Amino acid sequence: MWRFGMVACAIAAGALAEGFTFTIGNPVASQNFRMKAAAFVFRTDGCADPAKSQISGTAEGLVKGTRRSVVLKVVPASKPGVYAVYQTWPAEGDWVVSLRGVCASESAGAVVPIGPKGFVRESAKFFPRPATNAEIEKSLKALKQGGDK
Amino acid sequence: METLGYLRLAEAPESIWMSIEAELQRQPSRKAALRPWRWAFAATVILTALSAAYWSFAHRAQTRWEVTRIGGAPSVGAKHIRSTGKIGAGEWIETDSTSSAMVNIGEIGSVEVTPDTRLRIVTARPGEHRLALARGEIRAKISAPPRLFFVETASGTAVDLGCEYTLNTDEDGLGWLRVTKGWVSFQWRGLESLVPAGARCATRPQLGPGIPYFEDASERMQQALDHFNFEKGGDAALNVILAEARVRDTLTLWHLLSRVDGEDRARVYDRIASLTPVPAGVSREQALKLDAETLQRWKEELAWTW
Repeated sequence: MWRFGMVACAIAAGALAEGFTFTIGNPVASQNFRMKAAAFVFRTDGCADPAKSQISGTAEGLVKGTRRSVVLKVVPASKPGVYAVYQTWPAEGDWVVSLRGVCASESAGAVVPIGPKGFVRESAKFFPRPATNAEIEKSLKALKQGGDK
Repeated sequence: METLGYLRLAEAPESIWMSIEAELQRQPSRKAALRPWRWAFAATVILTALSAAYWSFAHRAQTRWEVTRIGGAPSVGAKHIRSTGKIGAGEWIETDSTSSAMVNIGEIGSVEVTPDTRLRIVTARPGEHRLALARGEIRAKISAPPRLFFVETASGTAVDLGCEYTLNTDEDGLGWLRVTKGWVSFQWRGLESLVPAGARCATRPQLGPGIPYFEDASERMQQALDHFNFEKGGDAALNVILAEARVRDTLTLWHLLSRVDGEDRARVYDRIASLTPVPAGVSREQALKLDAETLQRWKEELAWTW
């Protein structure tokens, strides 16, 4: 019985962790008027205790041929698991936002391209781990080539 | 003193004692008669003091807002604003075809009054900032908790839910609302259109706000919405709307749910469900009954795609 319980718990935890990912949206999705000026908002999905998840982000850019990286302050909303990203990176150049999250033993990542009219939902990439440098470079390259504009 | 002893003791006439006694009996009743007057006087004094205090408070609460000329010769009442001026409750600001102005809305934001606009300040209190747009166009930038800023028009009231928007109307209420940040709720006789950033809705006299749509929605969909909202477009218009809808257009479909009934409502529900998964806690049955909690939950989930 004890073994059965352990296996059931492990399966349940695995199922939950497997689904740990990000969902991005316009600031209105946060239902929080304070976040209306955010570049975009996102939430964690599949995390049993969003309050204990660890979330971070960087803006990765290419400005006049030079790679730049800006650490972002990810602002939590009053609703657990919902966060806002504000533009603190320069307007010049091409930029993507790389999000990283850890929930219990699982992790998630996302690369969100930023176009002239804001974040480009259709070109955002989601991973069950932090995005690799190669994946970030690929998104930046696509953005520079105009594929995401 | 001895002579006094010779004087004859004379009694006072009985009538004197009677009148004295009568007077003594009457005095308490006079006192009783005076009391209400005193109370009335005291009450009047207190009421006057309270009224004065209230008037003073209300007068202070109805603050006047600063108006800054942007161009031309905007006027507040009969006075032209040369550089800056003030405007308070009950006053009108008017611009002609060459003038524009900025009104500071207390501590919560500002409203740009564009040319050919007539705007009245209805209420100017910290808890309620209410304008009436008779005609023309305003651009509002508000940074405050929801439901502190209102703009009335002939076809409904724009209720700020923390936002930036442009509102345009003519005297009859024909116009539109376009939101650039946050949300605006446009309300008219129980009808409500929730317009998020990137979306707009048309307004018509005696019909209120139309169903909102994103500005990048297809031209066909926008035309069909116009027919549906204001020209009794019926089935033909509904078919186009459903066919043209993208995931993001669930904003439009969500509003459509409560503006159609019977089989049409079921078709709208099914179209939303085909575009994006129905979240836990939203059942077809409850949605078709327009259960408020269900629709709210669904809207909050759909908003992640808007």
